[in-house]
Amino acid sequence: MSPDVALPLLVGLPLGAAAVSLLLLGRPLVLQRTVSLVVLATMQVLSIVVVASVWDGSVVSVRVGAVDPAVGIVLAADPLGAIMLVVSSLMLWTVMVYAIGSQRTKEQAPAFHPLYLVLAAGVAASFLTADLFNLFVAFEVMLVASYVLITLGGSRDQVRHGMTYVVIGLLASTLFITAIGLVYAATGEVNLAALAVAMDQVPTGIRTALGLLLLVVFGVKAAIFPLFQWLPDSYPTAPSPVTALFAGLLTKVGVYAIIRTQTLLFPTGGEVSIALLVLAALTMTVGVVGAIAQNDIKRILSFHIVSQIGYMIFGLGLFTLAGIAGAVLYVVHHIVVKTTLFLVGGIVEERAGTGALDRLGGAMHTAPVLAVLFLLPALSLAGIPPFSGFVAKLSLAQSGFAAEQWVVTGVSLAVGLLTLFSMTKIWNGVFWGDPARAAVSLDREHVVAAPMTVATAILVTVSLAFVVAAGPLYDFSERAASVLLERGAYVQAVLR
Amino acid sequence: MAVVAVLVLHGLLALAAGLSGRRLGRRVLLLVACGPLAAVVLLVAHALGLLGSGALATSVSWVPSIGLQFDLVLDGFGILFWWLIAGIGLLVMVYATRYFAPRDDLGLFASMLVLFAGAMLLLTSTDNVLVLFVAWELTSITSYLLIGFDDHRAEARASALQALLVTGAGGLALLGGLLLVAGSAGTTSLTGILVVAPTDPAAQAGFALVVLGAATKSAQVPVHFWLPGAMSAPTPVSAYLHSATMVKAGIYVLARFAPAIGPVVGWWAPVVVGLGGVTMLLGGWRALRATDLKELLAYGTVSQLGFIVLLVGHGDPELVHAGATLLLAHALFKATLFLAVGVIDHQAGTRDLRRLTGIARRMPTTALALLVAAASMAGVIPLFGFIAKEAALESTLHVGFGGPAMTAVVVVGSVLTAAYALRLVWGSLATKGPDEVDDDVVEPREVARPAPGFEGPAVVLTILTVAFGVWVAPADALVVGATTALVGPEAADIHLRLWHGFGLPLLLSSVALVGGWVVWRWPGSVRRVAVVTARVPDMEDVYRGSLRGLLAWADRITAVVQPGSLPLYGAVVLSTVLLLPGVAVLRNLALPEGLVVAESGLQVAITAIVVGAAIGAARVRRRLSAVLLLGAVGYGMAVLFVVQGAPDLALTQLLVETLSLAMFVLVLRRLPERFESTPWRFGRPLRVVVSLGTGIFVAVFTLVAAAANRQGTAAADFLERSLPEGGGRNVVNVILTDFRALDTLGEITVLVVAAIGIALMVRTPVEPDERGEVGP
Amino acid sequence: MILVLACTIGALYTIGAWLLMQRSLTRIVIGLAILGHGANLLLLTAGGRAGGVPIAGADPATTSDPLPQALALTAIVITFGVSGFLLAMAYRSWRQRRDDTVEDDLEDRRLAAAVRRLDQDRARRETREAAHGEIADQHEVGVGPGGDG
Repeated sequence: MSPDVALPLLVGLPLGAAAVSLLLLGRPLVLQRTVSLVVLATMQVLSIVVVASVWDGSVVSVRVGAVDPAVGIVLAADPLGAIMLVVSSLMLWTVMVYAIGSQRTKEQAPAFHPLYLVLAAGVAASFLTADLFNLFVAFEVMLVASYVLITLGGSRDQVRHGMTYVVIGLLASTLFITAIGLVYAATGEVNLAALAVAMDQVPTGIRTALGLLLLVVFGVKAAIFPLFQWLPDSYPTAPSPVTALFAGLLTKVGVYAIIRTQTLLFPTGGEVSIALLVLAALTMTVGVVGAIAQNDIKRILSFHIVSQIGYMIFGLGLFTLAGIAGAVLYVVHHIVVKTTLFLVGGIVEERAGTGALDRLGGAMHTAPVLAVLFLLPALSLAGIPPFSGFVAKLSLAQSGFAAEQWVVTGVSLAVGLLTLFSMTKIWNGVFWGDPARAAVSLDREHVVAAPMTVATAILVTVSLAFVVAAGPLYDFSERAASVLLERGAYVQAVLR
Repeated sequence: MAVVAVLVLHGLLALAAGLSGRRLGRRVLLLVACGPLAAVVLLVAHALGLLGSGALATSVSWVPSIGLQFDLVLDGFGILFWWLIAGIGLLVMVYATRYFAPRDDLGLFASMLVLFAGAMLLLTSTDNVLVLFVAWELTSITSYLLIGFDDHRAEARASALQALLVTGAGGLALLGGLLLVAGSAGTTSLTGILVVAPTDPAAQAGFALVVLGAATKSAQVPVHFWLPGAMSAPTPVSAYLHSATMVKAGIYVLARFAPAIGPVVGWWAPVVVGLGGVTMLLGGWRALRATDLKELLAYGTVSQLGFIVLLVGHGDPELVHAGATLLLAHALFKATLFLAVGVIDHQAGTRDLRRLTGIARRMPTTALALLVAAASMAGVIPLFGFIAKEAALESTLHVGFGGPAMTAVVVVGSVLTAAYALRLVWGSLATKGPDEVDDDVVEPREVARPAPGFEGPAVVLTILTVAFGVWVAPADALVVGATTALVGPEAADIHLRLWHGFGLPLLLSSVALVGGWVVWRWPGSVRRVAVVTARVPDMEDVYRGSLRGLLAWADRITAVVQPGSLPLYGAVVLSTVLLLPGVAVLRNLALPEGLVVAESGLQVAITAIVVGAAIGAARVRRRLSAVLLLGAVGYGMAVLFVVQGAPDLALTQLLVETLSLAMFVLVLRRLPERFESTPWRFGRPLRVVVSLGTGIFVAVFTLVAAAANRQGTAAADFLERSLPEGGGRNVVNVILTDFRALDTLGEITVLVVAAIGIALMVRTPVEPDERGEVGP
Repeated sequence: MILVLACTIGALYTIGAWLLMQRSLTRIVIGLAILGHGANLLLLTAGGRAGGVPIAGADPATTSDPLPQALALTAIVITFGVSGFLLAMAYRSWRQRRDDTVEDDLEDRRLAAAVRRLDQDRARRETREAAHGEIADQHEVGVGPGGDG
């Protein structure tokens, strides 16, 4: 299959399937489930096709409706977009499997499946579009589905926390429109490739201001310091699969947008680069410090998202090949590992009814498989070798030292130790100890359905596969970084 | 390839042990013992010359682009370590089958133990510093899980965490150091780095970090305290990880670097040797006052590790040779001591020397092993420990600058060693008088005799301690191999001898033994000095204080940055806009030329109405008025759109505004008539500044951005292509339905999803609140 | 760019931002709506000076830029959809709590309150540390054998 078919299908298929799924409301649930799984699996295949076609570092593109790029919208996949698609598709179908197996997570609620598919379409469109305004639309498609998903069930708690999520989301969207308006005012373009060319004509000061404004806009979505507070407040209350998916994917769509726009439109770095590095150091630190102060699995993990976004921004802020390659690798690793950990947290909650560390204990003895499924990604998250997080962290640290950014690189290493510390906090609170003495334990009567464990195990396996395939994966990240830094291939592919 | 096979086998065994732990019971420990056994077979085959020359070196690539490659080279120093890791590992695993009662989680224990063994083998056989770090961290993690193996005990969990955090911090330093050094040298190969021996500031900082990392792992002062804490681990773990192997990883790194770096980096030798010397004295001192036998051994280990660091850290060939000898001797006698104490603890149920008496008669075999090992530790002729001590004294006496000081430290340290060796033997074996034991003493007849297999491993090691003393050749070959690997072929002439003749070293050795006996026999002086040293802050308190401080500060910082207030979050986002792009705009402020105030009077009038209505909406106290004024803003916008030449937009705005208004009114019917006026801690001045700033920023940026446009827009393109390519005269319509149909598709999707969401919000029944009421 | 339009945009952003930073949910929703108006106007005026209605084949010099109009139209509809959902949430929140003010996050408040209490009362510090999953207080119990100090 050629990318000409694959790219539009990646957006169109889940959207069409969402409509079908909506029509199936009221019919047996198995129909919706079948549609979702088939479509999400197809997305996985399509995304692999796309990656295969850009594996050598090329860029593929297709004009939507065959309209000329001067007036229309182009979908394009470069190595970065393609690898994001592959990993996202993986998350989408594994989390769907998990959701189908879970009892407490509203998968049976009406509209869960259509909303999930809309979200999938929005995510795919965000990674593929080569148009700034279309990126806004793709974001909104993704976000509006996420607004409804995060409040699915409508409990008091969810509405309160969802409110934070929606209001800050709307504010960011308004700022996004503001930024698009200002960019258009300065250049007369919204096509990203055309913008890459046109932005060079804009005076440096204005360009910096525009770059920083876009950074703030996407920084809210990506939850960088100091724009992250909505995340730990809103994520933990959502149904577990929803939290897992959001944790893995949504913020990373924001990170993707930061990487895409900063490298394509503001390639010199300059003052934006300094801002990025400072924000990266603060994001890493504040996130992990917040995690240390928490007493609930999901809240600890939520703060960790923030901390690790800092690593990605750090790699980008270096504006070197190795730095961006490290950032890409880190994003890919993080999506898998973070989602896995939230899935484990969900299983704990489903079995014990709580995620509070001071109430749980001894799960290693009553649920040894779960303990392993937690331990491996937790160590990876903390950057312990030989897991995927280590390779990503190592490449970032190397490029940081190579760029002589001693302070922020030192911070990135030190934060690793604090991350390990907070992971041991979960391990100590949930898995170690005497199950008989814990307020609640994961007893053997309350087991979860097989799909939940299987989905989690699949993701753990994938993150272990990353370790084996770290060499080729890093080389691919480097090609992705080189396409981002050189810009020419992307611009040509979009404008051709 | 043989090396790779052995390493892979360890990994596979770890996996197998984890999977089959429950089924195999205690036999799982024998299963994993196959790993070290294979390594021993490899070593024997090598020693007998059965392997080809290339068998011990191979390279497996991992992430070559960032310098991560498994360059495996097993040289003489590596072989010495491999013997310790595999040999003692084998014995400990056999020992553990008797040590543990059958329990569910032995699979995990065995898995971690063999994984640790594999990591240590990798650490000592790779030439790539990054892979060395990989192995290093693996040993820390397995050590964490093994120390906390008895996780029902809070003390075990806390000690595990303490060990992990201290060695983890050290690992961090090591990684930073290795990256800096590798960056300066331009290679991640250990031999490559040593050949280049970079001395630029970054590399020097790197070396300092490497020393720091090595010091934490090898329990040097002042970060030694985690090791006594780690004694919460089951005794096989203490014997294997925390005396024979893992704690020597730091020494391994120092020994590798010292011969090349010591001569070129001025501070290296004094700092490292000083570190070792202080550690040797302090460890020995603390061992004298321990009442728990494992704690006594742990401080003894700290002391001996300091001794070895003092010897290998200098880089001088003769000292390195003595260090390698002591490394071997220490592994032999200290592992024996741990295994023997483990037997006593297991049989008597305590390892408190105030509660033990008459043990020697209950288990003579173990007692003999313990006695011989302790004698070797104290340096009694003709045991192997004596040979090591002689070699050490011989070499320190030969060092020019600093030699006398080193010798003095070694002698004082040896006095302490002899004293705590006596205390150990007396404390664990002797039959004591009633005034020498506590009330809850364990009567000897309550102590069951140990099973023969349980005592075996200690006996094997004891035999080696004696044998190497009498028949030096095999040990000499090992040590010479290790020394030449470290310092080069010139060290091949230095050999071990049991009898050096009547010289200064022998005299000093004797002085140490006699002095040790005096110190042990008359402990009054110890007590007097202890009163003084008690005032020195304990590093463990410092650790606890830092941990407590970290937790308290984490709370404090989090409470500030995460206040949980939505309006405040909005303020933060807007303030960030002002701080980042806002400042950038401010710094490039240039008034645009050709500014037009207004295009028509109508424009002015309508904008005045819009702004007025908006101000009204913000100020009125009645909800309904606010919403109606908001509607006025919307309708005003529609009119403005007409004036701006956008009738389609105006129409949409009209429709949307009417719908919004209807929705608002429907909702507001239920809400109270007026806004409540609750006082609020979040400051009014800040809100004024942020909102005004936001408005000014956007207005100014709008002007500046438009003025910056030198390229115009693509408007002409659209006007031209609309009819031929889009088939419509209304250009806006063509854009929406044809050129940018994808936007419109997304827009419709958003509307549908929002409608679903609204339906769910409104129609899902509301759960009763605390008062049991349900809303309308 | 027209000065009066820039000022209008600025005024709408000011008022919108002001309302956003209030505790009343209704006001926040109104504030976001006003911010949205400002953003749409900004998008529309980004095309340069006003002109005639964009009809195919018209002279670009005297016609308004059609693209911003199309973009603004899409943006208006999208914002409308999302605001509608937010309004529905506000409505549900009112039904659940009988209160139109936004609640602070309980977990965050709990932590902040704990920190405040600590500052006031040193004696309670231990309790808070105990809540930290045993980490600090385990060490009070004693680490390893003895530790004679």
